[in-house]
Amino acid sequence: MKAKFSPYLTRLAQFFRELSRELSKTYNYVSILSTDSVGLNIRISGRSKSVSSETMTTERGNVVRVHQNGLYSEYAFNDLDLEEALFPTAERRLDYVRQMADIIRNEVNRQMELLKRTETTVYTTPTLKDEPRVLLVEKEAKILPEEANVAEYVERLTELSERGRNSMEGVLDCSMSAQCTHICKMFITPNQYLRQSYVYAEGTAVLIAANEETTKFSYEGVSGLGGMEIFDGLEEKLEVSIRHMKDLLSSGRIEPGEYDIITAPNVTGLIAHEAFGHGVEMDMFVKNRALGQEYIGKRVGSDLVTMHEGALCAESVTGFAFDDEGTPAGDVIEIDHGILKTGICDALSALRLGVEPTGNGKRQNYEHKVYTRMTNTVFDSGNDSLDDMIASISHGYLLEGMESGMEDPKHWGIQCIISKGYEIRDGKLTGKVVSPVVMTGYVPDLLGSVSMASADREIEGNGGCGKGYKEWVKVADGGPYLKARARLG
Amino acid sequence: MNIELLKRLLGEAGLTAWEVTDLRKRGWEFYFIRHKLDQNRAKEVEDITLKVYCSIEDGKYLGSASGTIPPTASEEEIRKTISDLAGRAYLVKNPYYTLNPGDGKAHQNLRMVSLEAISDSFIRVMRTLPETKTEDVNSYEIFVHEMSRRYLNSEGVDQTVVYPSSMLEVVINARNEAKDHEIELYRMLTSGTCDEGRITSEIGRALQYGKDKLVAGNTPALEQASVVFSNDNSLSIYEYFLAQMDAAMKYQQISRAEIGQALIADAQGDRINLAAVRQLPNSSRNFDVDMEGAEIWDRVLIRGGVAENFYGNRQFSQYLGLEKSSQVFNYVVLGGSRSAQELRQGKFLEVVEFSDFQVDEMTGDIAGEIRLGYWHDGESVKIVSGGSVSGNIREAARQMYLSKETTLYDGAQVPSVVRFENLTVTGIE
Repeated sequence: MKAKFSPYLTRLAQFFRELSRELSKTYNYVSILSTDSVGLNIRISGRSKSVSSETMTTERGNVVRVHQNGLYSEYAFNDLDLEEALFPTAERRLDYVRQMADIIRNEVNRQMELLKRTETTVYTTPTLKDEPRVLLVEKEAKILPEEANVAEYVERLTELSERGRNSMEGVLDCSMSAQCTHICKMFITPNQYLRQSYVYAEGTAVLIAANEETTKFSYEGVSGLGGMEIFDGLEEKLEVSIRHMKDLLSSGRIEPGEYDIITAPNVTGLIAHEAFGHGVEMDMFVKNRALGQEYIGKRVGSDLVTMHEGALCAESVTGFAFDDEGTPAGDVIEIDHGILKTGICDALSALRLGVEPTGNGKRQNYEHKVYTRMTNTVFDSGNDSLDDMIASISHGYLLEGMESGMEDPKHWGIQCIISKGYEIRDGKLTGKVVSPVVMTGYVPDLLGSVSMASADREIEGNGGCGKGYKEWVKVADGGPYLKARARLG
Repeated sequence: MNIELLKRLLGEAGLTAWEVTDLRKRGWEFYFIRHKLDQNRAKEVEDITLKVYCSIEDGKYLGSASGTIPPTASEEEIRKTISDLAGRAYLVKNPYYTLNPGDGKAHQNLRMVSLEAISDSFIRVMRTLPETKTEDVNSYEIFVHEMSRRYLNSEGVDQTVVYPSSMLEVVINARNEAKDHEIELYRMLTSGTCDEGRITSEIGRALQYGKDKLVAGNTPALEQASVVFSNDNSLSIYEYFLAQMDAAMKYQQISRAEIGQALIADAQGDRINLAAVRQLPNSSRNFDVDMEGAEIWDRVLIRGGVAENFYGNRQFSQYLGLEKSSQVFNYVVLGGSRSAQELRQGKFLEVVEFSDFQVDEMTGDIAGEIRLGYWHDGESVKIVSGGSVSGNIREAARQMYLSKETTLYDGAQVPSVVRFENLTVTGIE
């Protein structure tokens, strides 16, 4: 069924259109993003249980963007007098529109006074276009979080948690989580009226176990565009998590050095994200913070490396129809057979760079600024089999399970912390496991060493992505198994 | 939102146990490219969180469910939210605990916060940095907030605190004279109001690091080496120890800490002394009460490497049987036995820039890619980059040495320098 757009926002659309027109008397560009996203978050472990309607992306609020004298300013707020904003008589409603417009103007003007007092100069930016557009997108979802039978999911997660706790010796706890969010966003300018409604879900099976020497955690997740039905896949993920925990508890530390590696799709996705995901966010080009801008049209990987970015690339947790600046979702080929083609761009950075925006302008929520952000970042598949890839390695590791990564767009360094590595000797898995594994290197060396890629691919979207150490948004990434060479420690 | 209306509706729904947190934020933000203003933002928002509780099986269990109430919610919406949460609370069976008791009176600790004055200080101090033609500021973002947090519960707690909270993110560039090689460094500083002294000193030091990174060579493959940490990367180390004393970590059996026993067996180096404190100068986390209305007071958590007191939220503190407890926001780690200069003797690698240094609070695993370090081989100092530092804190802390001198980082006062004798350094030459 279609995930219906928020009736709350629909009721307020008229008010916000009038507010945008009123503010247009002062400013040469005005847009308003309003959000009303609801969710369900269930976490069950043997030691603690919780149910909440808050997820990482639930919100209800508004942000107004205005442009004057080359400067973009924003005002975020979430309180309104609904009786006045929805008043049926235009005259009284417009009184409230003018009142709200004055509040926004006053706050912007107070900041302008400070900027004048401190003799601050402006990084001048052209005015965004405001061409007429009307859009309503309601994507499919079977079970909405606001309509879910919570008791059924609590019971199911409780059973799975118990199964995980009883699965083997040494298990301290098994934590199951299920989060689902129904996103509704409305983007309004004097000439545009865009609405979208979609639902995404993410669930995890986390096992914590210990022996005398060590404590380990094993993590598997399901995620995707859709409703609570996505959690049907959690049972299978729990079994994988249990298998991995057995490997982890018997693991040792890796001998530091450079090895042939095979990256599982979740590690491939981490490389995509940290290597050329952040590296071609073009707001970094504006600040001259990314080496990528000097390498457009140049080789940055082997012929086997083709990478896509965009909300249209996959039906994932970031499957929106338009971004937080009203730009339609896109699908950009960033790297084509090893050649860096282009980056991704928000609307203001596009204006400054003289390029078209790609639908990657995202906010953590309405309170936060727009930055260029990733959506789906994915390596294309190849034609090799995983068995052939393993058989081709005399000594190396199959790397599985991402823990964290860090970007370095200026120098193309890469850091990936990976849950475990399975040793390969003479073309066979030996059964020896090392954990954790820190993979570091220089991005073009790593991508240039890609020599095989499997035919299948997977995309995951659990957790969040920050810019630096803040601005957390939903992203998804993935790809096939890749064979490459890297430094491990 | 009218909190009195919410309380009335909770009463009408027959709910006798609940908590409400009403967080109001006023914020000013300024984004700069070089020293030109890229964008300015203001915000005025209110987030209300409601948690309702119910007794299950005659008080054997406590049920709970939480949700948010937008300030624009109608009375009908609030009633529905309360009803939904009340129904869900019966599905969540946790062992019974009680909420913090209060005296039924409203308590306030209100600090004057001027967004204009604090923003003014940030804007001006950023122009006083010792930039040169080859080391300068690429971009920075200033966030200034007035936070007003009111917590109230069904047991008579009603506490409001108003406080400043600021953040500065700075990106620094350094380039060679020929301008054909440029590097960047990243800093994020948090504080209550604008901490001009810390900004000047930390960004000034980072500008020097930038100069050094330009000429850095490859990190040698040292295998096991002595490693020195001398900036806020070390906070991850102390926060591992802090986490071991968290009642939630203990109750979930992740922490192996036992009161009266050493956290690190067979420690040969300095034993850690860690205390929770209510106030630190200009901390963005100076609160009299925690997020659940419990009084915060100064107390020792780890003395001489031995676990002395757990801390935590109401639920897990009661599960551990703690008579008095609270969450911790500010902490102090006492200085150790040697001076910073003594810790910088012999062969050691001092790493001042990581891509992301981490000490996993659950496993104790240490990991970080080296972006800038100084390898002291006993005779000379080599500036290095690349490779990684790894290990496990449970083993590494057996030979951990802390400087006598301490440094303040927002909500943490910790030894200025810490040295480990046995970490793995994966080099690239």
